[in-house]
Amino acid sequence: MKDIFRFTYKAKFENPSLIVGWDKDAGRLSPKVIEYLNKKLNAGSFCDIEPVDFFSLAGVAVERDTAQFPECKFYYCERNDLVIFKANEPEFERYRFLDAVSDLAQHHFGVKHLYTIGGTISSTTHSNTRKILAVYNKKELQQELNGYGMEDMTWQGTPAISSYLLWVAERKGIPGVSLWTQIPFYLAACEDFQAIRATLSFLDNRFSLELDLKELDEQEQSQNIKIDRLRQEDSEINRCIGALENGQSLNQEEQLNLIKAVSEFLESGKS
Amino acid sequence: MGFKLYREPDPAKAENSIMFCGWPGIGNIGILAIDTLKELLKAQEIGQIEPWEFFEPYKVTIEGGLLKDLEFPSNKFYLQQFKDQGLLFFIGQQQPSEPRTRYAQGQKAYQMANLVLDVAEKFGCQRIYTSGAAVTQIHHTAKPRVWAVPNNQNLAKEIKQYQNTVLMSEIEGRGDQGLITGLNGLLLGVAKKRGLDAICLMGEIPYYLQAAPWPYPKASKSVLEVITTILGLKVDLTALEELSQKIEQQIDDFLESLYKTEAIPPEIRDEIEKLRYTEPAELGPITEEEQKRIMEHIDELFDQGGRPDERHL
Repeated sequence: MKDIFRFTYKAKFENPSLIVGWDKDAGRLSPKVIEYLNKKLNAGSFCDIEPVDFFSLAGVAVERDTAQFPECKFYYCERNDLVIFKANEPEFERYRFLDAVSDLAQHHFGVKHLYTIGGTISSTTHSNTRKILAVYNKKELQQELNGYGMEDMTWQGTPAISSYLLWVAERKGIPGVSLWTQIPFYLAACEDFQAIRATLSFLDNRFSLELDLKELDEQEQSQNIKIDRLRQEDSEINRCIGALENGQSLNQEEQLNLIKAVSEFLESGKS
Repeated sequence: MGFKLYREPDPAKAENSIMFCGWPGIGNIGILAIDTLKELLKAQEIGQIEPWEFFEPYKVTIEGGLLKDLEFPSNKFYLQQFKDQGLLFFIGQQQPSEPRTRYAQGQKAYQMANLVLDVAEKFGCQRIYTSGAAVTQIHHTAKPRVWAVPNNQNLAKEIKQYQNTVLMSEIEGRGDQGLITGLNGLLLGVAKKRGLDAICLMGEIPYYLQAAPWPYPKASKSVLEVITTILGLKVDLTALEELSQKIEQQIDDFLESLYKTEAIPPEIRDEIEKLRYTEPAELGPITEEEQKRIMEHIDELFDQGGRPDERHL
């Protein structure tokens, strides 16, 4: 197991919590939350996972004009006793990957709790407050986090990697919670600043991080102004969002048009 | 990585056992045959191979904020005593495969084959039967034969006594060679390495149905008839026969609709229909080119397309 990890620094922890985010996510929630945390907490990387067993390394993908390479890194924040893990989802050997991460968390870091971060696509609108839905692997942690304003989730379906990690952690006796923050479906391909802020706000409260979230407040406000402008310019988009705000549903064509219009408008940088 | 048994073998009975293995494959012929026998004999579940190192989970259940369950394809062992023999069954919902491969192959398949045989040996099995499909020139209205491939020459003589069963060397145009893909073949090889007798029984399926989404119970029935004769077992196969008839009618209706709309060109229809009146032994080998030409038309008709988007949590 050890040979898949490459340590670059000997970080010290007491009884840390592990926060896990994946590189791809709805509303870019997971990577943005982790990047924000790392930046604001001055978290430094100290360990990474060798990609060869878990990713196809037949060349590199190019995204946003840049060559990409799978990255699975652990960051440390000794001051707040946090370990932060940001990773591309493994393509192969997912159980071995998650088992190794959990083993390292338990035996090397002595992790107390696991938190996974993710966005869940929802029919809510950008003008609504984002809810965080929670899934726990231990009842005790569910009781401990009662009062943080999260809603318990009930669901059945194909598991995402965070659910898989939560299951692996449970088998090892690591209490954990998956946080699923609502993302309006038409913001899934963009950055959902309100959802990012809501998730960071929870982590801020939970770990007393004293994060400065002003930057995100401004980005959220700016995004809402842009969407309002789109609504003024395009009556059909205004009708669709209005319908969602009134609890009505859209047909598939309307949904796709809304996603396309909002994504293009926000990416075009109009304001 | 390993197996978990809920019941240990009885030392007094753990000899002279036989194992039957079934996995999904073309027409689900093998798994349907073995699972039907397991059900008819009311074999009891006695253990499983821990699936997480072989398979991806396919379902999560979350209730009231609690992660209740993560489900993986199952790979279970069942046992029933019959006369003085232990009949051990291994039923796998999925074959382990390496990324981007269709059939079980590579390290994981080899590990699984070894785990299956570890359990077989623990229960004193000296003989293993696997089952699958033999894709060939046969019409779907004809009774499928069973192709038998043993893992040593001594078993060939025995196989010749089985009803409606042929060895590779007896199949027109085959010579005495072929390839058994997936765990059905691999298990034969690993058993040979361990000095265990193993035979793969493959029910014939028309080549034009090899990509069809429905099972082919007619061939499963042929396989079961061979197995029950070997065991000296009388079982009621009425349910399997009824299912065979129902599927045969569906195939007839499906092909008829394709002929009518000319979704299948007339020359391909003629080739399929020619099989209706031909005895298996009269058939010459089908060339790769002929098969490719026919399958180009048939496979795309069975293509189910992509799965609808699902929300993953």
